[in-house]
Amino acid sequence: MKYSYIRPRKKSILTSELQLLFSFFSITILMLFLTYFFLVFKDYRFEQNTNEIIEKKANLEIEIQQMKKQITFIEKEVLLAERITTKNTILKDSISNLFDLVPQRITLSQAKLLKNGLILYGITPNKDVYNFMLQAPLRSIFHRTYSSFFPTENGWLRFVSTNYIDEDEMSLKASNEDKKHQEEQVDED
Amino acid sequence: MKINISRQNIYLLSLSIFLLLFVLVFSFSVLIPKGKEYRVQRTALHKDTVEFRRYEEFANSTLDKLKELQSENAHIITAFDKPFNPDRFQKQHSPYFTSLKLSQKKPLADEDEFSVYEVNTTSSINSPKSFYDFLDALNKGDWIIGINFPINFKRDHELISSSFTMRVYNTKKISAE
Repeated sequence: MKYSYIRPRKKSILTSELQLLFSFFSITILMLFLTYFFLVFKDYRFEQNTNEIIEKKANLEIEIQQMKKQITFIEKEVLLAERITTKNTILKDSISNLFDLVPQRITLSQAKLLKNGLILYGITPNKDVYNFMLQAPLRSIFHRTYSSFFPTENGWLRFVSTNYIDEDEMSLKASNEDKKHQEEQVDED
Repeated sequence: MKINISRQNIYLLSLSIFLLLFVLVFSFSVLIPKGKEYRVQRTALHKDTVEFRRYEEFANSTLDKLKELQSENAHIITAFDKPFNPDRFQKQHSPYFTSLKLSQKKPLADEDEFSVYEVNTTSSINSPKSFYDFLDALNKGDWIIGINFPINFKRDHELISSSFTMRVYNTKKISAE
């Protein structure tokens, strides 16, 4: 027996209001979770990047240290090479000056260049020529000069001239000159 | 006055409140702190990146300086790295001498990072000028060599016989090989 003229509607738990509610909140919650996962992922990436940067920085620091060492070493090499080149050039000039110093009337038979001295062997027509033309300039260069003569068969004299520079005096002179230079600089200031 | 709310509406309302509360609690307790952490880490990373770039720039400038030094002083660096070869030396410098003889190289005490060898030389020259030319050539040669005292010149008929010692400088790694 029927009590109604209309057909009964099917009742569902998900009513239209509930569907709306669920769809609204599901979108909201999905967005929240997505944001959360985005932040977690970004944090993870940041951490990775930071570690990478720290590692690269450490490597760079090692590289910089090595390069600095290389630079210092090359600078040392250049300094030493320049020192040696200058020493050779000075030596060349000294030998050239020495041979220029010997007058034509005196003939050298041997020359020994020492670290702090010079020994010359040779022949001179007489003592005066030697004294005025060779010993005088040698005396102005060296601190101590000794000469000895031996007569030869033709009447000329064979001589040995030994000349030394006192290194103590040289260093004293150098320090005095340094002091003078410093005083001059102070006066100028 | 009686408010008539259906049971279904009450369920709906309570569910809405529950979900809203969940959203609020999740946002304030998890999302916002995480966001703050994100900002802090982003700032820290930016700082690290800037510092790293500065390091990179410094490393690049140091590398440029090193390369410049290496290219400017290539001859000196190669000369220090080259082991001394007496035969080659004789071949290179024999034009300056009538005769040139070298003794075996003798190791001396190291100077800082350089090893030093001494080579005794006996030679004959026509004139002192040959010796000056030899000294000039030595400064441009393949090795770093310094002429050392004592230097002896002796007249030998038309020639001048000379004897002197040379100091050859090498980097330590080369001398160790």
